[in-house]
Order: sequence, then structure tokens, then C-alpha cells
Amino acid sequence: MSTVAANGTPAKERKVARKRPFWTMERRDSLAGYLFIAPQLAGIITFVLIPLGLVFWYSMHEWNVLGARFNYVGSRNYEQLLSDPALLEVLGATGIFSAGLVVFNLSLALLLAVLLDQKLKGITVYRTLFFSPVVVSLVAWTIVWRFLLQNNGGINSILLLTGVEGPNWLRNPTTAMISVIVVQVFKNVGLNMVLFLAALQGVPRELYEAARVDGAPRFKQFRRITLPMISPTILLTSIITIVGSLQVFAQIAVLTQGGPGMSTTVLVYYLYQQAFQFHRFGYGSTLSILLFVIVAVLTFVQWQMRRRLVFYER
Amino acid sequence: MASVTLSKLRKSYGRMDVIHGVDVEIADGEFVVLVGPSGCGKSTLLRMIAGLESITGGEVLIGDRVVNDLEPKDRDIAMVFQNYALYPHMTVAANMGFSLEHRGTPKAEIAKRVKWAAEILGLDEMLERYPRQLSGGQRQRVAMGRAIVRDPQVFLFDEPLSNLDAKLRVVMRGEIKSLHQRLKTTTVYVTHDQVEAMTMADKIVVLNGGRVEQIGAPLELYDRPANKFVAGFIGSPAMNFIPGQITASGFAADGALLPLPEAAHDLPPRPMLYGIRPEHFALTSEGLAATVELVEPMGSETQVTMRLGGTPVIGAFRERVRAEPGETIRVRPEIASVHLFDSDSGKRAN
Ligand SMILES: Nc1ncnc2c1ncn2[C@@H]1O[C@H](COP(=O)(O)OP(=O)(O)OP(=O)(O)O)[C@@H](O)[C@H]1O
Ligand SMILES: [Mg+2]
Repeated sequence: MSTVAANGTPAKERKVARKRPFWTMERRDSLAGYLFIAPQLAGIITFVLIPLGLVFWYSMHEWNVLGARFNYVGSRNYEQLLSDPALLEVLGATGIFSAGLVVFNLSLALLLAVLLDQKLKGITVYRTLFFSPVVVSLVAWTIVWRFLLQNNGGINSILLLTGVEGPNWLRNPTTAMISVIVVQVFKNVGLNMVLFLAALQGVPRELYEAARVDGAPRFKQFRRITLPMISPTILLTSIITIVGSLQVFAQIAVLTQGGPGMSTTVLVYYLYQQAFQFHRFGYGSTLSILLFVIVAVLTFVQWQMRRRLVFYER
Repeated sequence: MASVTLSKLRKSYGRMDVIHGVDVEIADGEFVVLVGPSGCGKSTLLRMIAGLESITGGEVLIGDRVVNDLEPKDRDIAMVFQNYALYPHMTVAANMGFSLEHRGTPKAEIAKRVKWAAEILGLDEMLERYPRQLSGGQRQRVAMGRAIVRDPQVFLFDEPLSNLDAKLRVVMRGEIKSLHQRLKTTTVYVTHDQVEAMTMADKIVVLNGGRVEQIGAPLELYDRPANKFVAGFIGSPAMNFIPGQITASGFAADGALLPLPEAAHDLPPRPMLYGIRPEHFALTSEGLAATVELVEPMGSETQVTMRLGGTPVIGAFRERVRAEPGETIRVRPEIASVHLFDSDSGKRAN
């Protein structure tokens, strides 16, 4: 500390003279940061964390609203969950629904995006057209489709004109599942399509020009350049779509009520039945926790996969 | 390797004509530079040769084959893009080998060719890296590597050095030139930088507004520019143009009488431009009086902005000029290096 500052005063003395105020630049910056996230944080605490805690709390109770019973039962609901004979079937239906939905939704969305990525006159009209179901009311959309899919509904009438006798779509386990998936995909495919369209347009044009000079045919350009370049968007859309598919409810309620049999009883619909039809809120809460764990694990796994599957520019 | 011939080449975007009939002959193995100001159609012309842009009129020949309607891959050309257009998700090796994959080249052969190209370009250590892990100059080399692995008939370069800093540009300029001397592949190189054009080209094509202004070897263009545009474009700092008239006693400019070469005295007494390059002024004790406005010492030379009569001109002198603004110095134009241009048409008159 024997250094002497330019003006001749020893550095030590000057340091003492410069007393630091409480509101340093750093403190002010962090205060501003906390203030900015405060509304969001309040929202998350009130509407996410507290309900989550409550659901967990309920899941350890036997709670019958009609019978006005609310008894602590510890892990009994969880033991029941593991031995629930319907659980396997429900998880199976959920798995088939989610897998079918994701595969069909993403491929159709990507196909549409590629088709709509052309520089043609009036292309925005088509883009709007394919996007419009996204903004339509879900219940209204599903009700229309229920009429179309009825045994004597619109689709079978059209099929009859061509001489084909269509199946009773919603009353056969296989076609019921397919119908639910297709109705859901047509409703939401526009959203993924728009995301893919934006991603496609973000691929630099020179890469395709370079590939043309390099002699790569169109499908090779798609596989070797387009797909890797839009892989972050593929990951994003698949997470959104899987999480969304696990929460499907209104479509099932309107179209099949989980039937025929249990063939379209997905987890959320089963949860609804347990809680609101059989008034077993405790067990319903336990099923919610299961759903939460599944979504969390899937998201985590997909997020981990990005390292291997996704190419990031930076 | 092959020659390239552009014959009456035209290009329009809708109703806007961009290239108005360009004729250029490029010999086998030649290094030709297309140079011109921004927007003059250099890239368009190059992309027409590459097959990335359709041809409105005229013909492009590679060798003796008309390639107007051939896809880029069938033209046997390789192109280096301005921002390199490297595939960001592929390693350096994959980037360089990509074009060979589509030609049915066996894997071992691809690896061999990539290794060969990497050795030439000093990229052997970086084959497994991704483009984002490379510096600008290294990316530039990968782009060149991608072009040379295929051993194409023609290399096309579109301003390949414009994203590099000044020092690296000089280094890469030399590397491209020596690569050409080694491979002797016909090369068409686009730039707006006349220094690049002068130093690299066997032959320069000066473009302006979609037309060819002049074609010639670098020193031809420097010594005998065909018109005022080429005269002003080639050379740095640019040639001075002094408006005036030819008289029996010399070139009468505003407030100054400039010496003329012998042959120029026979020219008709029309309004002319007297063209003289900054480096063709000499400092003397009995030349023309010039008022100094600005002195810029560059080390190797000194640039002086000065007023000759009413016309501002720039002189570049080997000597160190120590003059203050407002002072008068005496300079003399080298008579052998005087260019005369018609005032109206801009065409060379002497
Ligand atoms: N797709 C297009 N549609 C309409 N006009 C275009 C198009 N592409 C280029 N042009 C026009 O053609 C002319 C030549 O463009 P080009 O890109 O060849 O110029 P350039 O000489 O390469 O310029 P720079 O040095 O800035 O790269 C410009 O006037 C430009 O506006
Ligand atoms: Mg250009």
C-alpha cells in the first residue's frame, strides 16, 4: 500500500475518503432485476406452486365431497394407484394417444410448412386457412366433428357416395382412437406448422445454393440440411405437443366419453371420472401427481436428448 | 479445366434489366476478376455462370458446351460464397466431402481427397471441428477446401475476402493466388476492391451498370484506361480529372495551363478532361503553382490535397512534403502519363 496516486496523495488515504454508499450499482441492478420478476414470481407461487402443494396434500387424504369425508390416509391412495387394475389400460391408451398424436401432428405440420414455404401468389391465404382451426373454440370444433363422425354422419355419407360403407367411427376401439387423434391434430396442427414455417424461413438460402452447387438432390438437401437446421424447433414442438397431448380432455369428453370400453380413457379423463363422477377427490389428486411426474420426466428426458439430436448454431 | 465464354449475356428481373449484353472470353486456366461498384451486376453475372440464376438472353459456355439450362451440379463448377455458406452442423471434413458424397465417390476416396485439400490449405488439424469453432480466415479456407476437393473445371468466387480484416485479406489474397498457380484451374473472381483485382488477376473485366467498360490485363487498364470510368475506378488514390480545353500552348484549365504530350496537340479544341494520377505529379522547383490544402503522410509516400488554379487535385509523392495548408508548392505532371477524355462521352481521346 505504498503506491502513490498520480496526484501525490497516498492511495490508502483516498480509499478511506471514498466511503461506499449502501445503494451500489450492483445492489441497484439486482433490485431492478427482482422487481422485474416479482409479478411473474407471485403468479407462479399463487397459481402453480401452492395448488401443486395442495394437490399433493389432498392426495394423502380420503376426500368424498358428497359424504363430507376428509380423512388423512397417508400413502394409501398411492398403494391403491399401484394396484389399480384400470391403470395399465389407462396408461396404454394415454401412450397410444400421445405417440400417435405427436407423430401425426409433427409430420403433418412439417409437410404443410414445407408446402406453404413456397413463394406462390396467395400463399398467405392457405397459411391462414390451415392456421384458423387453432383459434376456433375447442368444444365447438369437437362437437362439429362428433356430427361428422357419427354412424350416419357427414363422413360416412360422403363415403357412401363413393360406394364405401364406413365404420361406426366412435364405437369401435381402433377407429375411436384414430378419430380422437385426427380431430385433435386437425385442431392444433396449424400451431406447429407456423413454428416450422418460421424455422424453415430461418435457414440461410445460401446453404441450399451451396448444396445445389455441391450436387445434393432435393430430398438430400431436406435430410442433410433442412432437418438438422430446424432441429431445435422439432424438439420444441415435440415437447409442446407431448405435454399438450397428455392433458387432452374436452375432445374425449365430447367424442367418446372414454369409450368404447376403456379404449380412449386417457389419464386426464380417468382422473376426471374418479374425481368428479365417483367423487374420489383424494384419488383424483393422486392421479394428478402421477400426471405431473410423467410430464416432468418426459420433458427432462427430451431436454437431455437435445444434446445429441439438436444442432445449435451458437 | 475449361474455358468460359459469356456471349451477349443478358439478365432481367421482371421488367428491370440488370445485365445488358456482356461478352467475355475466359481462357482455360486464366484468373479473371470481375470488378465494379456495388450493384453493377457482378454477383448476378457470377451466379448466372454457376447456374443459380436463370439466363434471360445470350449464352454461357463452359468449354464448348452451352450450359444455359444445366443445373449447377452438372456444370462442373465450384463456388465460394461471400459469407462462405458452410454447413454449420457439419464438421470441416464433412463440409469438404459433402459434394463428393453425391457423386458416388467411395468413402475412402473422399477421405483421401479431403485430406489432400486440408493439407494444401493448412486445415489438417481442424477436420473434426465445426465451423463455429473456426476463425474467419479458417472458415474462408474451409470454403475454398470445399471447392477444390472436387477438382472442378471452374472456380467461382464471390467477394470471398470481404468479411476478413485488412491484414488477413492480404494474406488470403496471396493464398488464393498461389493456389491458382498450383492448381491452374480457370477462375472467375468477383470483387469490388480494385486492389484485389489488380494484384490477383490475369485479366480484369470492369463492369458498370450491367455493362462491360473494359477488359484487359491489370497494367493495361492502369496505363491506358479506355474511358473515364475505368480511369477513375482503377488506381488508388483515384485519378484526378481536370476540366478544360486543348490550346496551342497546352491544356487550359481553370486558372492553370497544363503541359500536354506532343501527339495531343493535334486533337480538336473541344472540352476535355485532363486525367493525371496522383503518383504522376513530381515535385519541382519550377513547375505549376499549387496551393496546399491538406498533407497526409503515409510513411512510404505523402498525399497532398492541393488546388491547381480552381481545381482541387491529389498528389502522391515519394518525398516527405513538409508544407502547411495555404503554402504554395510547385508540381509538374509527367507528360507521358497524361490521359485525355472526351468531356461528354468520357471516352479516351489520346
Ligand atoms: N432478385 C432480384 N430482384 C430484383 N433485382 C435484383 C435482384 N437481385 C439483384 N438485383 C439487382 O441487380 C443489380 C445487380 O445486383 P448484384 O447483386 O449482381 O450486384 P453486385 O455487383 O454483386 O453488387 P455488390 O458489390 O453490392 O455485391 C442490383 O441493382 C440489384 O438491385
Ligand atoms: Mg455481390
